[in-house]
Amino acid sequence: MSIRQAMLAILEQGPMYGYQLRAEFEQRTGETWPLNIGQVYTTLTRLERDGLVEVVGHGGADDGEEAASDRQHVSYRATEAGRSEVSMWFATPVPRSQPPRDELAIKLALAVTLPGVEVAGIIQRQRSATMSSLQDYTRLKRSGRAAAPQEPADLAWSLVLDALVFDAEAEVRWLDHCEARLRRAALDRSDVRRDAPAASTTEGITR
Amino acid sequence: MRGWRPALLIAWRDALRHRGRSALVLVMISLPVLAVSAAAVLIQTAEVSGTEGADRTLGAADARVRTEGGGQVVQGVDPSRGEYAQLEVDPDDPLTAADVRAVLGADARLVPIATGWQRARLGDRVVDFSTTGVDLGDPLAEGLFDLERGHLPGAPGEVVVNDAMLAKGFALGDEMQVGGSTLTIVGVGRDATVRKYPVVLGAPADLPDESVDRREWLVAAGPVSWAQVRELNAAGGIVTSRAVLADPPDVASMAEQMGYDTGRNEMAAIVALVIVMALIEVVLLAGPAFAVAARRHARTLALIAASGGTPAQARRVILGSGVVLGLVAAGLGLVAGVVAAWLLVPAVQRFNGEWFGPFELPWLYLLAIAVFGVLSAILAAVVPAWLASRQDVVAVLAGRRGDRRPRASTPVVGVVMLGVGIAASSYGALTSDSGNGALWIAGSAIVSVLGMVLVVPVVVSGVARVSGRLPLTARYAARDAARHRTRTVPAVAAVAATVAGVVALGIANASDERQNEMTYMPNAPMGTGVVSWGPGVLPGEQAPDPDEVWDRIEAAVRSAAPEVGFQPIRGLEESYDPEGWTSTNVEVPGQDQELCCLRTYGPSVAIADSAAELGIEGDTARRVDAALDDGLVVVLNGSVDGRRDAVLSQQTYREGVDEPAASSRQTVPAELVAWDQRAYGAAPASSIIPTATAAQLDLDVVVGSARLTGDLDAATSTRIKEAVEAVDGASLYVERGYQRPDEAVVILLVLGALGGVLMLGGTLTATFLALSDARPDLATLSAVGAAPRTRRRVAASYALVVGFVGAVLGAAVGFIPGVAISRPLTSGYGGFGPDGPFLDVPWLLIAVIVLALPLLTAAVVGMTARSRLPLVARLD
Amino acid sequence: MNAVVHLAAVSRVHGEGATEVHALRSVTFRAHPGELVAVMGPSGSGKSTLLTLAGGLDAPTTGSVWIEGTDLASLDNAGRARMRRTSVGYVFQDFNLIPALTAAENVALPRELDGEKGKVARRLALTALEEVGIADLADRFPDEMSGGQQQRVAIARAIVGERRLILADEPTGALDTDTGEEILRLLRARCDAGAAGVMVTHEARHAAWADRVVFLRDGVVVDETGADEPEALLAGEAGR
Repeated sequence: MSIRQAMLAILEQGPMYGYQLRAEFEQRTGETWPLNIGQVYTTLTRLERDGLVEVVGHGGADDGEEAASDRQHVSYRATEAGRSEVSMWFATPVPRSQPPRDELAIKLALAVTLPGVEVAGIIQRQRSATMSSLQDYTRLKRSGRAAAPQEPADLAWSLVLDALVFDAEAEVRWLDHCEARLRRAALDRSDVRRDAPAASTTEGITR
Repeated sequence: MRGWRPALLIAWRDALRHRGRSALVLVMISLPVLAVSAAAVLIQTAEVSGTEGADRTLGAADARVRTEGGGQVVQGVDPSRGEYAQLEVDPDDPLTAADVRAVLGADARLVPIATGWQRARLGDRVVDFSTTGVDLGDPLAEGLFDLERGHLPGAPGEVVVNDAMLAKGFALGDEMQVGGSTLTIVGVGRDATVRKYPVVLGAPADLPDESVDRREWLVAAGPVSWAQVRELNAAGGIVTSRAVLADPPDVASMAEQMGYDTGRNEMAAIVALVIVMALIEVVLLAGPAFAVAARRHARTLALIAASGGTPAQARRVILGSGVVLGLVAAGLGLVAGVVAAWLLVPAVQRFNGEWFGPFELPWLYLLAIAVFGVLSAILAAVVPAWLASRQDVVAVLAGRRGDRRPRASTPVVGVVMLGVGIAASSYGALTSDSGNGALWIAGSAIVSVLGMVLVVPVVVSGVARVSGRLPLTARYAARDAARHRTRTVPAVAAVAATVAGVVALGIANASDERQNEMTYMPNAPMGTGVVSWGPGVLPGEQAPDPDEVWDRIEAAVRSAAPEVGFQPIRGLEESYDPEGWTSTNVEVPGQDQELCCLRTYGPSVAIADSAAELGIEGDTARRVDAALDDGLVVVLNGSVDGRRDAVLSQQTYREGVDEPAASSRQTVPAELVAWDQRAYGAAPASSIIPTATAAQLDLDVVVGSARLTGDLDAATSTRIKEAVEAVDGASLYVERGYQRPDEAVVILLVLGALGGVLMLGGTLTATFLALSDARPDLATLSAVGAAPRTRRRVAASYALVVGFVGAVLGAAVGFIPGVAISRPLTSGYGGFGPDGPFLDVPWLLIAVIVLALPLLTAAVVGMTARSRLPLVARLD
Repeated sequence: MNAVVHLAAVSRVHGEGATEVHALRSVTFRAHPGELVAVMGPSGSGKSTLLTLAGGLDAPTTGSVWIEGTDLASLDNAGRARMRRTSVGYVFQDFNLIPALTAAENVALPRELDGEKGKVARRLALTALEEVGIADLADRFPDEMSGGQQQRVAIARAIVGERRLILADEPTGALDTDTGEEILRLLRARCDAGAAGVMVTHEARHAAWADRVVFLRDGVVVDETGADEPEALLAGEAGR
């Protein structure tokens, strides 16, 4: 799972404790995928179990005041195995063979097959919603630190935003496409119904 | 033809698709073809050649033999057209009928025919007419005259006439006195050749040839061969043979036989020059349309190139449209020309004195004209085709517009050609006295025009470069013109070539007129009128009494214009008298040289008592008066003043005798007075004798003419003219200084109109092609808020750029041949006034052409251009 | 707040009889100052027709078009042209610069057409070019510029002389993503500065730059996203 590798990749830069790790992640991905601290420690524990990270020691000299519990003072570091895992991760493309479950696609697929569901309405509502988020992403893009990236972290954030934008755009285009196909299908159906008698007479004559 | 088929196919479809542009090219090319082919057909029809003319001169005879005396004759195939010359003439030993029979056989039948001129009185007028004396009843004369009314002459004294004779006032049945005998008009009809002039035909005895040594026969002797013709030539016979005309022998032309310079080379060169100039003009006019076609095809051509086509294949697409449009235009022009000629024949016949031959098509010429049309279309397409095949394929496929930069060498070549043109025309002007100066100048005109065409791109670019400060539309037009040089340059060049031609001819004409004006010799003091009288008197008639006639003339003038002064000028009686006539001269011994060369308009010796009587003014008048008061004879001359002794010599001659029957010389005291011709024009007389002196010398004094003074405006002089000319033989002349002949003005107007039309044509072509090319730009202008009339402004600016640049360039280039040709044209001696060469530049004409015409054209274009802007079209 | 452009129940029919095409059917549309509105829709949905009507390049069959409170129907051809050069700026997909004129002259075009003196027009043009960041290219001809630079010139031409309505027809269509985004940023900035913008596009990514997205299909507005009132948007902005 990607969170594992992402945390390992950040830890490659140097030892960090949990909160620090979370902050670094969020700075780079722009709070798009918020992590809760529990998730962070669960993951770290698993990584430690697998021998990919190791505990460095208790606390740094300067972060004493932030410490809330004993565990929070524990810093982690990537092991040799962890480092090779990270380079493996970067070297391997993200597989598309197993598409993530797409709720929207499933929803539409069901709507088309079930009688009494107004598919066009679903598409339109979805498109408006997607468009609104697209506008939101774009607004983020054109204002704030993503608008004029100065640091590598800002650039990283704007690229993540772009990913979201293109994703949303793809969805809108897919929705347009669905709409167009549904309309054509509807037209064809009515054509077939109208043409049917004529077709049969022609057939009769040729025989 | 391999590889041409697709090109021609594309061209043909393209021509159909772009009807407007095709029509433009068709008009440009078919109009000259139409005009020239119509002219060729008309000329061929009007020309009565060879066998066609045989019936007119020969009637039904086999030959017509004429002699003007013995001696060797050199003749061409058709001597009736003047192709003959008599080498040595012996008038006392003309060819005789026997001589003719000796050559053509003893049984040859000879019918004498005589041609000449006669006069007859009709009321108080005397009518001139030509005569043909031949037995019209003879079968050989059949075809010479076509009787329409009455009958052919049968009895002596009977004649037939043509319609022109009736138009003079004679009628069927009239009698007239000709050469002492009475002739009766018994028939009217059509003369085979002459249409406009009066002709009388009758028996040879009634209408003899007044020339003693000329004899002529119609001959019936079977076909007369060329050998027989040469045989008769040797004896002084000039022979028109039907057999020779029908089957012309291969003989050298008259001029070559005689060893003259035929002038044929020069003629051919001039024809070639005219054709080349016309070709250049047509090519330049049609060029822009092909340039636009090439641009429209740019993408096609780029695709051809991208898919492996050679430049030659790309060129063919554009050349193909030249071929297609040229063929169609030539065909259309030819057919229309022939039809136009056919329609015009009756109209043209009216202006021609001779009957035309049958309607004829000169196929060879017509073919040449058609080839000219096709050639001009192809030539017009060559440059765009060549440029199109060299286009930047990548740029075109990327959708960039605009031409390549001009090569630096092109204008250099152009400037060099202009230099050569100037040099050649200078050489032509300087050597014009000896040789083909005019040819050099005309050739240099072509070189200059071609050089100018090469300079045009640079000039157009230059105008675009300095256009930054112009108003928007003008700036746009100038820049766009420079960007699309393949379209602009030929149009500008066409305008320039036209203007150059008009300016050159204008300078030549103005200089010629200046010479005419400077060397003009007035016939009376400026603003005065002279009435002269010379009665038409036939032999045997009594001349009217001069005093009585002059009284009538004076009365007529006084009643027509009471305020005009009438001053009779008296001179010595010199009129013809069968008893003999007397000539009187005043000579100053030893002063012949100084006395010559004074031009006079009155009698050579005038009788007067005051200078005022003769209209002499100023200082000269005072001296003349003083001398006349002293009873001296005044001798006007070019340069000498002072008292001399003069001799009054008189000789009396009788008819047919060379020696004077009587002669006398009297010495008289005379005063020589120098006459300033430059200031006063011609003198009224060469010498003046006071009345008293004339009486002492016993001279016959009569009124010779009368001087009219006072306000002789056009209306008054017309009134007087009508009154005076009611008296037979009287006429009025009013001196108004040099008057430009009407036809010269008409020629200038026609020239100007032609130039204007060509200029308008060139400008319009370029402008409207530019407008259609500029569609996307105009759409953009519209989108950014241009008012609809912007299109008009752009159009007008475009016309202004094309017209103005062309006019300025053309005017400059026109100076080269214009100034040069004015030299040979005006360097001749005028006889009076300063010698040439003269040079006059018609600045007004040039200003009109360079400034007014482009503005007018721009206004026309601006007015006629649609004011709707196109919408930006985008595929959704 | 008064709309800069207001299409009131506008219909546009092209052709007649059998070839009759309803490009727009009773569309009502507004664009307010400070607002960028994107118009989306499939081919033939009437997007471009809406834009030509809003710019007064074409007249509606029924309904009326108001620009800055003036009914275009009350103007003659010349009046509409004046309106275009004083109030409306057009940006096209293929730039539509006049190749015979330099960048500055292209930008000065509307002002010069309006009768402004050459010098004044040029100064305004330079200001506009500066605004789009290519003042240094003022004296180049369109041929000598990249697509993005040409489109910047076109935008400068659309904004020169403080015009309050910018109509853009697929302004980024001929450009790559990055350059396209620069152009959108310029349009956006202009609208944030108080102009009203209408942009026709078929790319959702570009439409997202707008405050409001209008979907057209078969000449009818089928959907509209984004806050209808700019105030709400502003509130949203303020919230960040």
